This record gives sequence, structure tokens and C-alpha cells, in this order.
Amino acid sequence: MGDKENIKRILQEAELYQGQGLLNEARLKYDEASDLVRNNPKIKNKEKILAGLSKKINLLEVDSQKVEKGPSSPELSSKAQDLIQKLFSFSKEESAEEAALEGALALARFGQFERALEEFDKLMANDAHRVVAAKNILRCHIALDSEETAADKYEVWAKGDMFSADQLETIRIFLEQVFENKGLKRKLTVVQAPAEAVVEEKQDEEFIDISAIGIPLESEPGKGKVVEFDVNFQSGNLLSLIISQKDGTLIENLEVDSTFEDLQFYSPIAIFNGSGVVAAKSEIKSGPKQGDFCLDIKITNT
Amino acid sequence: MAIFNLKKREIECKVVYYGPGRGGKTTNLEYIFKTFRKQITGEMVSINTEGDRTLFFDFLPMGLGKIKGCEIKVQLYTVPGQVQYSSTRKLVLRGVDGIVFVADSLAVRRDKNMLSLKDLQANLKEYGLNIFKIPLVLQYNKRDLEEQGIPIMSVEQLDHDLNRQLKVPSFPGSALKGDGIGVALKECMKLTLKSLQKELKWAQ
Repeated sequence: MGDKENIKRILQEAELYQGQGLLNEARLKYDEASDLVRNNPKIKNKEKILAGLSKKINLLEVDSQKVEKGPSSPELSSKAQDLIQKLFSFSKEESAEEAALEGALALARFGQFERALEEFDKLMANDAHRVVAAKNILRCHIALDSEETAADKYEVWAKGDMFSADQLETIRIFLEQVFENKGLKRKLTVVQAPAEAVVEEKQDEEFIDISAIGIPLESEPGKGKVVEFDVNFQSGNLLSLIISQKDGTLIENLEVDSTFEDLQFYSPIAIFNGSGVVAAKSEIKSGPKQGDFCLDIKITNT
Repeated sequence: MAIFNLKKREIECKVVYYGPGRGGKTTNLEYIFKTFRKQITGEMVSINTEGDRTLFFDFLPMGLGKIKGCEIKVQLYTVPGQVQYSSTRKLVLRGVDGIVFVADSLAVRRDKNMLSLKDLQANLKEYGLNIFKIPLVLQYNKRDLEEQGIPIMSVEQLDHDLNRQLKVPSFPGSALKGDGIGVALKECMKLTLKSLQKELKWAQ
């Protein structure tokens, strides 16, 4: 194949890749063609050809930037939002409340924060999902660039009676951690737990009280062993554990969404087995438990 | 995981079109939407962004009629292929019953095919699913480009790269022309329903 034919073939490839939206591949081909033109003494009107190729490369750059900077989560029509909510409510056959939470989480995951806020607000009426809904309300506000609104929202909750002191502590730790990750230093009101409030909360629980949990370790260190942790806070099927920093290595391989098939639950009336999933894991960055870890485990089956 | 409504004798299952970005997953669904009108039970929904790239997913509901006394409904989805949409891909894959992996035959996309298949395996694993056990077919798309003199991989090369260990049914195709689309979907549905029959024991 002659040089001219070769260049023509490369340009044909470049144009096809460009047409298919394969911008990097197109760019590489235009570069290859430019090099061939530049280094070939037989080609006339080199400057003109190279200028044309350079123009094509610049246009590709513009397209690439548009793709990269394109809206990561455009606001969708309410019809599309309804569809997302419906399609990603996986538990609709088992539990309407669980399905509502999944739908709201999907809306947030797809960047439909305003609509997700509406759905999480509705879930605040549900005891079992209130803390998760609250955390996600704050997450949505932060995603909408309103850290102040998130902080104000927490302060309103801290003054009200919607949450117990332990629940507020979980939410405060979560929010301060989010602020810290964003490089913001915002201190939130710490609410002390009055003894009688804790008693009332326990009476309201629908789920059996779980005082400790045994987790089988699936990786080193401690592979095969069952380690027991006290449950610091329980909201329905969500257990929050504070794990001291000296035990941190035991849970370092656990990630959000890690599942356990053989958890042991210790309650005042029975010991039973079940499965669960890691709902959240974070390091406590401030307060008396600084350096410890907060691990949320959601019971999925007992 | 398919939903089996015993009362209505109805099974709703989920088939996901997976593969590298710009490989033709959405074009597959568009062709199905245009061609299999009798089986289509609703509108095709696409959420695209700049340059017609799938941003979240495409969705197409189908009804296959009664099979062994059960009404079969299928939801077809595509995932966004671009690497950065990993969490969306994982979410769309949740509850999947069958997969059509749309590989790009273009020689320049060889690595992207392999990375995408690896990504599929990792995401399935996170849901406790095994790529060797889930109903899966491969479609080698864009075969028509060979006519235009564009370098594409041979079917043997694609089989070697992607199907050496999986050994699943594979189909050459052209989503743009409609070649190999129906046959890949039919084979995927056959494998999916066979697997569901075993799991849900509805036809025994």
C-alpha cells in the first residue's frame, strides 16, 4: 500500500471511530496520520493538510471535554423518576417499607436528590428506617451543595424528640465525618442520653433487643474465629457497633455491602443465627471515641 | 432474582445487556423495540447524556406469553458502559437473571472488552453470583464494519479472548443491521428460563 493510501485508510478509520463516539481511538488515528504526513517528504501541501488534521483533533478535544464534563446526574422527568423508584424497589414483594427505602436510595444514587428528599421525608415516619432516612436526607442536602442546610437540619432534630440521644449520636458522627471528608470543620451539638429516654426507646422497638453480635472472620487476621462485639445502638434491624481502635485490624477487610451468612445474635432471651450486611463503616474523627470505628450491620434474615 | 407470582401464575425476570461503552447495547435494545413489536409491552426508556451515551440505563419491558402455564414477563436493561459509571452498573445488575454480553469486534476495543467482562465478573461476585453459572451469551457486535475495511477481530480471536473459559453460546452480530440480535436474545432467554425452571420449579 502506498503512503497516500495508507494515510487515507487511517483517516477513514479515524472518522468511523469518531462517528461511533470512540473519541480516544479517533484521536490516536488522527495523530498517526499527522505523523505520517509530517515525516513524508513526498507529500505536497503539508502545512494545509496538517492544519486540517489539527482542526479535527481540536474538535475531538472539545467533544471529549463535553463528555467528561457532561452532567453526571441531570434532573429527570417525574415519569423517569417514578420508573427508577419502581424498578429499583427490589423488596416490593416482601416489604412495602423496605421497597420504599430502596426506591428512595435508588433516586439518590441516580442523582435525583430533590425527589429523593421527598421520599426520605416520608420514610421519617417509619421507626425502623428513620435513622437511615435521616442520614440520607443529610447526604442529599450535601449533594445539593447545601452543607449549611444539612447542619441546620441536624440541629433541628437535636432539639426535637423525633430521635433518641443514641440515634442522634449516630447521625452526628455520620454528619461530622462527611464534613471532615469534605474538609469542613463544623461542630454539631452533642446530645446526652437521659436514662429514662433510653428505657422508653427500648420499649418501642419492634425487633427483639440484641445486646451483642458474633461475627465470623473470613480473612486474616483471625480467619475462622468468631469475634463478639457489644451492640451500642439498635434501630429496628440496624445494629450499630463501636469497635475500639485496638480491634480495628479485625474489621479492616470489611467493606460496605459485605455480607455475612452466619452471624450470631445474643439477646436477653435467646441466642440465634442469621445473616446481615455491612450498611456503613466509618472511623470516628472526634469526641471521646476518636479513633474508634463505627460499624452498622443490617440484619437481613434470622 | 425473578419474581414468581404464584397467584397470577406470572414470572417476571431481568435480562441485562452488559459490555464496553459504545459497543452497541442500546442499539440492540432499539432494534428489539422496533422489530419485536408484538412482544413489547411498554415504551423503551433511555436516559442518555452528551453524545448519546447511556448515563443510567435503558429499559424495555417484554411479554413472551405463556410457557408451561406461566405468563413470562421480561425486563431488558442496558448498563452504562463507560468505566466511571461503575456503581450504576452494579445497581442495574442487581437481581439479574440472564446476561447478553455485547462485545465490540473493533480491533482497537480488544482491551475494553476484556476489562468489561472482568468488571461483570466482579460485580456479579458482589451479589454472590458466579459468571460461570449465570445464564450468559456473548454477542460479537459490529461485524458489518469489516465490509468497510475497518480492522475487526476474527470470531476466533474474540472467542479466545472472552470465551476460552466461559464456553457459553456466542453470536456474531450487527446491532445496526439487526443481524444476530434476535438469536442472541432468544438463546439468553432459553438459558434464563431453564435456570428459573430449575430454581423456581414452576414447570415440574
